[in-house]
Amino acid sequence: MSKPILIVGGGPAGLAAAHAVASIGHRSVLVEKAEIFGGAPIQSGYAKLVPSGLWAKDAIGGMVRRVENNSQIDRKLNTVVKTFDGTPGNFVAELSDGTRVEAGSAILTTGFTHFDSVNKPEWGFGLFPDVVTTTQVEQMISSGKGVRCPSDNRKPKRVAILLCVGSRDRQIGREWCSKICCTVSANMAMEIREELPETHVYIYYMDIRTFGLYETDYYWKSQEEFKVKYIKARIAEVTSDGKQLIVKGEDTLVKRPITIPFDLVVHAIGMDPNVDNMTLSAVFGVDLHKQGFIARKDTYGVMGATSRDGVFVAGAAIGPETIDDSIAQANAAALNAIAAATGNNLQAAE
Amino acid sequence: MPIHEKSLIRPENITTHDELVIEGVDVSGHWSTFIESRVISDYNEAMEEEIAALPGGENIHRCWQCGSCTNSCTVHAIEPRFNPRYWIYLIRTGMESELLRDKDLIWKCVSCNKCTYACPRDVVPEGVMKATAHWLEMKGHVPESPSMTFDKIFTEQIVEHGKIEDTKVLMQFLKRTNQPLLQDWLKQIVWNIGMRTPVKWGLKSAWNFVFHPRTRGWKKAGAAIQDYIIEVEQHHKSALGVDKSTAANSNAQQHNLHAAE
Ligand SMILES: Cc1cc2nc3c(=O)[nH]c(=O)nc-3n(C[C@H](O)[C@H](O)[C@H](O)COP(=O)(O)OP(=O)(O)OC[C@H]3O[C@@H](n4cnc5c(N)ncnc54)[C@H](O)[C@@H]3O)c2cc1C
Ligand code: SF4
Ligand code: SF4
Ligand code: SF4
Repeated sequence: MSKPILIVGGGPAGLAAAHAVASIGHRSVLVEKAEIFGGAPIQSGYAKLVPSGLWAKDAIGGMVRRVENNSQIDRKLNTVVKTFDGTPGNFVAELSDGTRVEAGSAILTTGFTHFDSVNKPEWGFGLFPDVVTTTQVEQMISSGKGVRCPSDNRKPKRVAILLCVGSRDRQIGREWCSKICCTVSANMAMEIREELPETHVYIYYMDIRTFGLYETDYYWKSQEEFKVKYIKARIAEVTSDGKQLIVKGEDTLVKRPITIPFDLVVHAIGMDPNVDNMTLSAVFGVDLHKQGFIARKDTYGVMGATSRDGVFVAGAAIGPETIDDSIAQANAAALNAIAAATGNNLQAAE
Repeated sequence: MPIHEKSLIRPENITTHDELVIEGVDVSGHWSTFIESRVISDYNEAMEEEIAALPGGENIHRCWQCGSCTNSCTVHAIEPRFNPRYWIYLIRTGMESELLRDKDLIWKCVSCNKCTYACPRDVVPEGVMKATAHWLEMKGHVPESPSMTFDKIFTEQIVEHGKIEDTKVLMQFLKRTNQPLLQDWLKQIVWNIGMRTPVKWGLKSAWNFVFHPRTRGWKKAGAAIQDYIIEVEQHHKSALGVDKSTAANSNAQQHNLHAAE
């Protein structure tokens, strides 16, 4: 009987991998650092998800329950992997709770870390209470409290969403596009307009990357049905006149400086590499991508392969990723992880 | 902020004082040159809503500023300042003073609809131009345009008689736009038509011109159409926040301004 698969990280990708492994009768050990499963959508309290429109607590909550009810999956919360040694088919991991796990192979689904807006001080986060992040607005919506200005709980009359906060910015060493924040912002703008129809929502962008089918369902819909306004400008500074926030920048289409008053400014924060990646790289002996995410060895051959044989990776651990693509990658990684654990030869296509 | 593009400084935004002393320092003449700020300090959301309330303006909020309308535009090809893409942006962000700088250009749209076929978002820029020209008139920024005068005469005759009398439309139009009745081109047309028209038709036209009979049973229909026109006009006026008196006032002001020039 071959050994279980070690799955590290219980977000959408990890939950999908565990379920996939169990669905063909194989055992797994799911190790999660936090005290709950569900990853970013659950831990950060996201509202309605793109593109399903389902509430995160229902959609991802359902994935959690499916795993919790499966006896093939050995679940460990508040736990990390301390050491990991061996070869495919015969790995041994030592966990922070002292247990020793024998594993045939491993899948890293350790995800990402939200960009911390404090690292862009010119945009006012941490200085002004009414400068918030997309995760905070997600929580305002998912908690049912509604979108309010934190300073005095008033309904904002005018909201600015600043795109690419913590992405596409060499000044802070983050050159990647976080891929989902344009679509998430368009979706959020519609949710704000739905709750507060009198509120005007402006999105400040450099490019709009609502890729594929998201174009009409989010970008166009937000303009056509919800009258969200898009202004091509990368904001220089967010300040305050004591009453309202003042957003400064250049309106590139009219070549004129702008200083526009707003009630609420939302940072569309990006997806950073998981802060644990240096440790994960050392413990599992996997290479990192030059941007700090976990590097894939192979693009077309063995899905999810890392630089170490028998260790696979899926989801936002690889780079900014959507939930549905994370799940797809996790299923692919699960297949290859089982093959590695059972001694089947994996051959790259090259 | 340093000035990188001198072309952005408009002559009317430069001010100097012939006599000026600041804190004991004489800065008269070019020493006191000030350039008015170009900073946009607020958006005016009402403007887009007003244009969208007028026929043709309904889809303005869809515009994503690709420029296809301007690229394809018949008028833009000969007058580069005619820029529907730009005006749509000014309206959407509420830069009214900027739009008003071009108020004597906007009505020059020839309604060829090349923009309408080029626009990837179905904004119908031709309609937006029409709505904008209409808006400028209703707000009193420009005097009533000849085409609006023509439409009004046309409509009045339809409502009254159920049909138009071409000669009467033309005569009233010339009168209301302060044009002489006898113009060479007109004489030519009338002469040409006269020479080719059979006598019977000519007599019929003359009879129609003199008596201008109403279409049979038109009274009720005409009244209903009139009610509808009043209702729609009222709707447009309230969307723009102009009742009759303010529009008339600003129209009068406009005429005074023109007189002063
Ligand atoms: C504001 C915002 C809104 C978004 N909205 C959407 C949306 O609507 N639709 C969509 O498709 N995508 C959305 N995304 C993207 C979505 O969050 C990711 O695609 C998804 O979370 C990736 O899943 P994951 O399992 O790979 O990673 P994560 O969700 O990050 O899960 C990783 C898990 O691993 C755990 N972990 C981390 N390190 C360790 C360690 N060392 N040991 C053990 N466990 C560890 C974490 O605690 C976490 O539970 C959004 C992202 C942001 C920032
Ligand atoms: S998805 Fe949009 S907001 Fe996010 S980093 Fe890319 S371009 Fe910027
Ligand atoms: S309809 Fe008017 S705006 Fe459109 S292309 Fe023709 S002239 Fe230009
Ligand atoms: S073609 Fe359409 S979308 Fe493009 S700038 Fe003109 S009106 Fe806007």
